[in-house]
Formats: sequence, C-alpha cells, structure tokens
Amino acid sequence: MIKTEKVLHLKSSRGHKVRVVREHYLREHVPCYSALCQAGCQNEGKVLSGDATHYVVPDAGVVRDFLEVFEFRELQGVVFTQTACQAAQHSRGRRHYNRLRSLLKDPRQDCILFANEFQQYSYQPREKGESQEKWQTRCVYHAAVWYYNHLAGMKPVVMITEDGEAIAEYSSLNGGVYVISTQEYLQSFWPDLQAAQELYSSISQALQERESEGTEKEYAEHLPAEILEAGIKSGRYIQGTLNVNKHKAQHEAFVRFEGTTNKNTELNSDVLICGVKHRNRAVHGDLVAVELLLRNEWKGRTIALTDGQGEERAGEESQSQPMPTGRVVGILQRNWRDYVVTFPPREEVQSQGRNSQRILVIPWDYRIPKIRISTQQAEALQDHRVIVRLDSWESTSLYPNGHCVRVLGKAGELETEIQTILVENCISVPSFSEAQLREMPVNSSEQPWQMEPSEVASRLDLRDTHLVFSIDPKGCEDVDDTLSVRVLPGGTRLELGVHIADVTHFVKEGSLTDLEARSRATTYYLADRRYDMLPSVLSADLCSLLGGVDRYAMSVLWELDMQSLAVCKVWYGRTLIRSSYQLHYELAQSLLNGEQAEVPELAHLDAGERDRKLAELLQALETLTRVARHLRAQRDKGGALELEGVEVRAQLDDSKNITALVPKQPLEVHETVAECMIYANHWVARKIQGTFPHQALLRHHPPPRQEFFNQLIDSAKARGFTVDIRSNKALADSLDRAVDPRDPEVNRLLRMMATQAMSNALYFSTGSCSEEQYYHYGLALDRYTHFTSPIRRYADIIVHRLLLTAIRAETEEEPSKALASNKELQELAQQINTKNRAAQQAQKQSTELFQCLYFKDKDPQKDERCVADAIVYAIRANGMLVFVPRYGLKGAVYLKNRDNLVINVKQDGSCDWQTGSLQRYPDRISSCTGSDTHTFNLFDHITVRISVEPSRCHTDSLCLELISNRPHQAPGPRTPPAGQGRAELVQEVVRLAEEASLQAEEVKGRRPKLSKEEREFRQSRGPNLYSLLQEISELALLDPSACQALETEAQVCATSA
Amino acid sequence: MAGVELLSDQGYRLDGRKASELRKVQARMGVFAQADGSAYIEQGNTKALAVVYGPHEVRGSRSRTMHDRAVINCQYSMATFSTAERKRRPHGDRKSSEMSLHLKQTFEAAVLTQLYPRSQIDIYVKILQSDGGNYSACVNAATLALVDAGIPMRDYVCACTAGFVEDTPLADLCHAEESGGGTTLALALLPRSRHIALVQMDARLHQDHLDMLMEAAAEACRGLSKVLDGVVRQHLQEVSVLTRD
Repeated sequence: MIKTEKVLHLKSSRGHKVRVVREHYLREHVPCYSALCQAGCQNEGKVLSGDATHYVVPDAGVVRDFLEVFEFRELQGVVFTQTACQAAQHSRGRRHYNRLRSLLKDPRQDCILFANEFQQYSYQPREKGESQEKWQTRCVYHAAVWYYNHLAGMKPVVMITEDGEAIAEYSSLNGGVYVISTQEYLQSFWPDLQAAQELYSSISQALQERESEGTEKEYAEHLPAEILEAGIKSGRYIQGTLNVNKHKAQHEAFVRFEGTTNKNTELNSDVLICGVKHRNRAVHGDLVAVELLLRNEWKGRTIALTDGQGEERAGEESQSQPMPTGRVVGILQRNWRDYVVTFPPREEVQSQGRNSQRILVIPWDYRIPKIRISTQQAEALQDHRVIVRLDSWESTSLYPNGHCVRVLGKAGELETEIQTILVENCISVPSFSEAQLREMPVNSSEQPWQMEPSEVASRLDLRDTHLVFSIDPKGCEDVDDTLSVRVLPGGTRLELGVHIADVTHFVKEGSLTDLEARSRATTYYLADRRYDMLPSVLSADLCSLLGGVDRYAMSVLWELDMQSLAVCKVWYGRTLIRSSYQLHYELAQSLLNGEQAEVPELAHLDAGERDRKLAELLQALETLTRVARHLRAQRDKGGALELEGVEVRAQLDDSKNITALVPKQPLEVHETVAECMIYANHWVARKIQGTFPHQALLRHHPPPRQEFFNQLIDSAKARGFTVDIRSNKALADSLDRAVDPRDPEVNRLLRMMATQAMSNALYFSTGSCSEEQYYHYGLALDRYTHFTSPIRRYADIIVHRLLLTAIRAETEEEPSKALASNKELQELAQQINTKNRAAQQAQKQSTELFQCLYFKDKDPQKDERCVADAIVYAIRANGMLVFVPRYGLKGAVYLKNRDNLVINVKQDGSCDWQTGSLQRYPDRISSCTGSDTHTFNLFDHITVRISVEPSRCHTDSLCLELISNRPHQAPGPRTPPAGQGRAELVQEVVRLAEEASLQAEEVKGRRPKLSKEEREFRQSRGPNLYSLLQEISELALLDPSACQALETEAQVCATSA
Repeated sequence: MAGVELLSDQGYRLDGRKASELRKVQARMGVFAQADGSAYIEQGNTKALAVVYGPHEVRGSRSRTMHDRAVINCQYSMATFSTAERKRRPHGDRKSSEMSLHLKQTFEAAVLTQLYPRSQIDIYVKILQSDGGNYSACVNAATLALVDAGIPMRDYVCACTAGFVEDTPLADLCHAEESGGGTTLALALLPRSRHIALVQMDARLHQDHLDMLMEAAAEACRGLSKVLDGVVRQHLQEVSVLTRD
C-alpha cells in the first residue's frame, strides 16, 4: 500500500474553517467486479455481466441528478465510481445515497461500485486551485480509462457527463473510452428505452425550473438540523411522524410521538397541526419536529362527517375539546415515495396561465398536496394516471416540485386502477425475471422432476409408513399443509403429524428467488387476481403437496398419550411424503358424518379394497377430530378468543373478498385443521425460541388498550349487554353471551367492533422484546409463529430456516452457521409487517374498487340491487355509520345535507329533506323537523340506496342515502344470499371490463387474458380455510391508524368525496 | 444517525484501509543524544516523541522513594500545534494527567523496576501531531525510548486501538473514526507472553462483542510488535556499524 495525504477544509464544531490532513492509502489490487476480468481480481458477490455491449461510467453530476435513470433494469453494465457516489452522498444526502446503495446491492440490477480512489493507478490527487467538480470529473474519467485498460480493451467504456467542457476535453484522449452526454448516450445506446429518455427529460426540466424559481416566501424556513436536535433533546420541540387527516387534508394533520422520549407528560395525545402554513411543507409520513403553540391558540378536532370537498362552514360548532396544537419547525426525515397523480383535463391546463410548461397535478392519495411538475406531454397525458416523484419543496413555492416517472394508463380503466393501488401501497410485483426462473427446477413432461438420491437418504421416509392427507377448499392447488395420524405400535400412544411444504429446499438463502420473495414478503391477493411470492413452478407444483406424488416436506410429529392426549415427545425434521388423499372440506365433513361420499382417489378400486381404505381414512379423520377438540378445549381454558365463529368471518368481509368462498355451513373439520396448524406453529415457536433466545422470528399479538373498547361497551349497553374486557377470556365469554335472539346481526356487529378495537398481530425478533411481550392475545398462546404456509408467506420461510438450523445444531456438533442477528431479523420482521399491511390495504382497496365498478352502471333510482338493508352501528354529529350485510360494506349516512336540511321520516317510513335540527346522544340521534321528531337507535335496521359518486383524480366512492327507516324487504323470493353476492359482483365486473375492452378495439391488453387465467388457476383465490382463520386471528384488517383513539373518529367519517 | 460511513459496503474504511489493516508505522530510535534514551514514531499521521531519563536518584521529595524498586515518572503533553485547532494548554489539563497516569501504569507493568531500588525513571512523551490513537503512539514511542536507554523490560509493550463499527472490529483508528461515535478500545499488550498491560474502553459495548474486539486489538498489537522489533534491530545494526569503526 502506498500512503498519500489528502488535505481537506472542514468546518469545526465552533464553525471555524479548519484545515485537516487525512491519510489516504492506495493499493494495487482493487477488485473490478467484472466477469471479464483477466487480472485475477478477487471479485466477491455481485459481478458485472460479460454480455453487456459496453460499460458505462456516469459522472458525479449524473449520479447526483439522474440516478433514477439507472434504476431501469434494462440498463446493463453500469460502473459507479466511488468519487461519484461520495459526491452524491454529500450533495443529496443520506436518502439519495441509500437509494444508490440499494441499487448496488440489488442482484437484479447490473451495476457495481468501483473504489477508484483507492486504486493506485486510477487515483488522481486534487490539484491546487482545481474546482471540486472539475476534479471529480477528472477522477471519474481516469477511473473509466483504468477500467478500459484493466479489461485489456475487451469492452468499450462510455463515460457520461453533463459537463460540456469535459466532453470537449476528454473525448479524443483515449481510444476505447468515449465521453458523451447523458442524453446522447440514451438516444444512441438505448433508443428502444423510451421510458428512460422521458424520465431523463422530465428530470432535467425539473432541474431547470428549480433554478428559475421566484423569491417570494410562502412558508417559514426550516430550522437547521443542529438546532432541531438540541431542541428535541431539551424537550422544546417534539419529534413525530406527520399523519394527515384523509378527510380534511387541507386543514388537519396530526403528529404522533416516537417512543416515550417525551418528557412533557401532559401531552399524552397527538399534536394537531392546523392548516398548511403550520404544516410548513411537511408531507404525510415525514418525520418532523413540532413546536407547540400557546395554550390559547389550541384548537379542537372536527368531529362531524364531512364530504372532504371544501366544506368549511361546518367547522366552528362541531369541534371537540381543544387539544395540543403545534406547528412544524423542521423536517428530520422525508419519507417521500412514488405517488400516483392524475393530469388535469385540457381546459384546466390552459386556465393555469402563463407558464404552460408547469402543471399542477392532483395525487390519488388525498393526504398528499398537489404537485407541480414540468412536462411537455401534458396534452397527451390528460386524464392519465402517472407516477410522480417529489424532488423538492422550497420555501418560496406553494406546492412541491416533482417529475414524471412512468405513465400507468387512462384513469378509470380497470388495469390502471389496479396498478394505481399497487403503486400507492408500494407494492412492486414485476414478473419473475429470466435469471430467477433459471434457478428453478424443471418439471415438464419431457423432463419430469425427480428427487435426488442424497435427499432421499438424508430424510425420514414417511411414504410407506404414514397415511398422509390434505384438507383444503375445493380446487386448491397450492397445498402447503398435510396431516397424518396413526396409532403407534403398542397401542398406548398416538402419533400426530403436520407436514409442511419444504420450500427452503428449493429456495436457497441469498438466491435471486429468495431475494425477490423477501422483497415481496407475501403473496398479494386482489379482488380479481393474485401476485405470487414464488414462481408458479414452485407454488403450484413442486412445493405443493399434491396427492399421489412424492414431495419433500418439513414435519412436526408429536407422540401423544392415547388416553390423556398429553404430549410425550416431539420430533421436527425433513421428511419425504406422498399424500394419499387430497380432500376438500365438504367431503371430509360428510365422511365424518357417516354420509355416503365419493372419494375420487378410491373410485377406480374394487369394492372390497375401497371399503378397507375408506375405513382406514375414516379412522384417521375421527382420531384427528378428537385430538383437535382436545387442543381447542385447552386453548379455550387459557382464554382464546372465539373469533373463528362464522359470524366473524362474515364480518370481515367488508374488506375482504373471502366471504364468497366460505361455505355457508361452518364445518367442524375447518376447526380441526386450523387447530392442528396452530398447534404446529406453537410448537415450532417453542423450539426456535428455545434454541435461539435472541434471534428467533415469532409473532405476537399485544393485548389491546382498554380505552379502545369504549365504543364497544357503550354500544353493547344500548342493547342491554355488558362486555367484560378485563382479559381475553372474559371478553370471549361476554361476547358469547351478547346474543340478541331476534337479530343475529347484533352479535356480528359487536364482534366486529371488538375486532376493530384490537391491535394487529405482528412479527418480531425475540431479542428485541421482553419475554412477557411474546404473548398472543387472540390465540391465548405464550409463543406463536408462522410455520405452515411457506408458499405464500416469507416469514414462514425464515422460520423454516431457523428450525433447520436448530435441528442441525442439536444433532451434529458443528457450530451452526451464522444466522441473521437480532437487529437484522427485527428489521426484516418490520419489513414483512409493512408489506403485510400494504397487502391488506391493497386488497381492501381493490375490493372497494370492484364495489364501485359494480354499482357504476346501475341506475340507483330503478335498479333493485342498489337498495339494501343496513344496520346502524355508530352515531356521529350529523349522521350515522351503517353496515350493509348484503354487500358487506360500511359507510356513512348523512342526516343533514349541505343545505343544512335534515332528514324527515314520513308515516310510511319514506324520507325527505326538511329544515330542522339534529340531536345527538351516545346511543341515538334524533332529527327534529317542524312536524315531528324521529329517532334512530343503534342497531336499528334501515333501508339505504347505494350510488356511486365519481371522482376523477381519486377513487370513486360509494354513497349511501337513507330512503326508509324500516328494514328493507327484498322484492321477490330470489335475493342472492350474502355469501354469493360478492363472487357474483367480482365476476360481473370482470366480465364487463372484458367485454368493454374487446369491443373498443382488439388490443392485446394483458387484462382479459390475465383475469381468465386467474380464474382457471384459482389456486388461492380463496385461500384455504386455515389461512382465512389465520387472517381473522391476526385481526389485521384495519390500517393501524384506525387503532389510535384519535383517528378512529376521523376514520369513521368514511366514504367521503 | 447522521455522519460519515466508517466502513463502506465493499469493506473499505475512510482512508482506504480494510478493517484489520494498520496505518503505516515509521520509527527512529536515538533521536536526541543528551537524553538516556529517545525515540520518534509515526503511526499514520499521529506523531509522537518520547524521551527517557534514568534510572537515577529520586529527585524532589524523598518520600516517594521505594525500597524494593524504581519509581516511574511519566509526563504526557501535546504540542499546541498538534491538532487542527491550536491548543491553548499543552499539558496539565485533565486529559493529559489521566494519560500520564495510564502511561505510568503501563510501564510499571513492563519495566523490571525491582532491578533499580531507590531510583527513578522519567519518561516524557509529546504528541507532535494528533490523528487518533495518541495513547498507543505514546506507549510505542516510550517502549522504543526505554530500549534505547537500555532499561530492562519483560517484553516490548505494544499498544493499539480498535473500534467497533457495524459488527466489524476495526484496527488502529484514525481521528475521524474515533470521533465517529463508535466504541474505542485501547489495549497495551506484552506480545510474547500475551499479557495485558492496560486495557481501556470508555463507551458502551455489548458483552458478546468484547472478545471479538479484544482479539482484533491484540492482533494489531502483535503486528505492531513486529514492526517495532524490526526498528530496534535496524537501529542496533546501524549503531554497531558505527562503533566498529
């Protein structure tokens, strides 16, 4: 190594300028990370592929401003120099730098980092008087030259820069190294990559615009970081995440504290930020520092239901108690993501005045302010949905600046809307790349997949000894769990087995498929389609434990005492199984009931053989049921919540599509399978937690906060029930008692409220929580994890790996290889939690989208289907919230309209608007008009008309209108049962969309094809019942904001605009 | 946590070293003729000068005299021009006295003091330029000066620092790394016997990581001892060539 010195001028802590000398060591061997390297560099990890036509070296300025261009996976052979990376870090900050780092780490991107400043021959000391930019450009150029020479001229190297002088200076110096501008580069090397060029021009325009900005101040300047940090430490400022109220995005935002660092004990609620001036350029999700206003300036929160479309008059009288109010003084961390926006139609563009290049676009998410972008494509893009990124928000500008990234399509089309939902939830599901698919084993008719002999030898073979079968919904293709049960020789012990698909055998840690699955974290189910976590060759074939074929499995085998069913021994390990029967729930139940049923696997056998096999299977099923009843009883004693009831399942359907697929009759066999899976999960959790006390991935469900139950208690009181919330057992019992014999919906609604009051179950790493916090409240288990669905959840894959390492550590003496540390695991758990939340959110939004599409082409005045029965479940100041069981949707019904008229109920029950006033009580609301008074109580049945309120920039929403205070009598006997309504709805919408697209033109759009395929595949469209129960027990249908007491009210103002 | 990235994803540190690489060490013995022993060392940009007087009679108060061994007296100071911003007070502040005490403890463990009862050995060290690892530079310089003075020791005393960043121990921290907010451990080792003369760490560290960090520091000390040994042999050769003539 050679030692040199670098002189830097830095600022000291006191603000003086200081001359600092730093050492700088150079070495001869710096890995080049190219597959073509002849010099024997030690290239570890990611290597630049040899089949790119050239290598491209971007200059510091290009990396700083146009990094996004390199995120296109089509761009190959990108060499980032250390100089450029450091320059980008200094000038653009940590966020930008992290983005670059994740780009470099992503194995799907063909780019690497070359540490040119540590390479003896490519290092260029800065000369006296040389400007920093010039020096950086020179460094990058010499790095490019070195790279070219290092690869012995095998690849031409292109350096791209925005600096015109550099192009003139360097372009003719060296043979194989070309220096051109970014634009020229994209045009000549990637002429097909239109999107990259558009992105480039949109960024460069945004840059130009920024330079020519006005100087008028719209907002107060943010305070510098040091002052903020000191202020937060001293308690003068409060640090928290900004949450904008969706329904009053212009006026209200809340800041939620981070942790418990806040010394100011009187502040136990969120801080209100009123108006955009006080919000001071913070965007929803940013981490901000807030200064509290004086007490006499504090304001209350509005609690009336509003339309969200600029209704400000209602403000004054309907405010709640004043609460802490503050203003944003600085932003600690921007959390900008990609936003979907809609371009305004042409008329508005022109009216926006002089500067026709700049356009204000409206984000899809209400909580995001309008974004100013400059583009020349405004004409072409009107009424399109486009992905936009924010660049900056200067204090001189009323709106933030952004640039276009990608066009999604025309607003209102099904495909566009689905893409919008995905982008808004930060879900990225590109189709699996070739490299990923290449890792997959092949299973075709010419080349059938076979088990490797080494695997056969090392696994426990259960193919001949055990009767293994699976029970799933009809038509399920991704079978990830199977069961077995048998009496052990001797007759005193039972052996219960749960066999789970061995996904980790096929998905090696660190492989491309693994990384992709990790970033997806789960399979995404939307209303009409599914995005798999693993390629379908695994999820539907090789991992799936299909009947009659040999498969790898991970098994848990318990030896139970024949009589007491106490656990004597547990065995975990890899096995080979061949599932004998692929049953579905109805079939299994009818077998158990002793009814005559046709088992397809036995159809071709002769009668005697069939009876013998059938008796064998029946015996197994009966034993299984006995065991499951026992397990269930044990858990009930501990206080497991009775959330598996079919009512609850239906209650969840307001956001989930599942109802349609749940059989109407709850079958005991559902519970049997679920119980076995919960048991397996529990025992695996015990095992991995025991072996890795600090780095096991578990799942916990924290006990809910008591105050969230207030609404439930009050509502129950209205019907004369008491709800005991002291423990999960008490709650379960009291919910069981709260049944109104005349109206089964009451219990359903109460359970729904109970579910809402609870927090979400979450993954965590054992090292980051204390042992008491491992408890799973809903299932009443002290330890719990997810083990049984590795095909569609990444958490299960991790648990499988942990379990394998635990087993290996036990049997062999060799030290187990390094696992993820607690910190890494906790980060991963967070990521999976976020993704799960996003998946649920996306599912919910897609269902809402389909609801709207369903009602869109129905005439609410005439169509019978638009009129439905609804139940009141909450009361607000100017209306009430209702639940429509038929369509499983919730919404607000206004009793006072915009002209301040209130509803008047006539003798026959029909309603009209008249002048009058509203009176609100905790359990009822009365409307007084001149002639008479009418009261609506909680749990009253009313009739509503459903119509669609279209919106151009946002999603369409459903609007409920009261038409009668009597329960709705469906005309005619043929009312579709609640369960089927949903399936019908989705199918009809899809069919209409298909027809429309076919008629319009014969485009080879993906949509019709896709949806048909999905229909046939149908794998987990209705996830198997077990997963359904899981989701229920996770209670995670709410977005977390709804859990906060403060936000519940806001949340409840649903269906606005 | 804002701040510089001390260890890049490719495993380079700020100055281009890998995690376990030391800075360049250069040393000379016998730089002053008037003192009994003297040495100058550069560890990267940290430069230290050490001077040894003695053993001689105890000066000043007689009460400090030990019957069975020699007293070691250390004084540490930093030149006013040693840091980026000029220092006001070259010695006598709290940090310097603490450092003097540490040096004293280190050499009491290494020098065979019982050979010189009722006498005193003075060690003066001065940091000429400071760039991290001041303590270790002082120890190493003083060791060379003691060797130069011909005072018998159990072994070389080699000192080095090690820090802990992102689960990786870094050897021989420079100033930027020391002030980066991580944990720093200073270790003085008698390499041959692997005895520890002094270990010091002021920041928090998880117990699980301590062994790893100690091992990294010890490895660095062993590396340093080879360099110091080389310097001593080189010096002896030069001196013997001179005396032969």
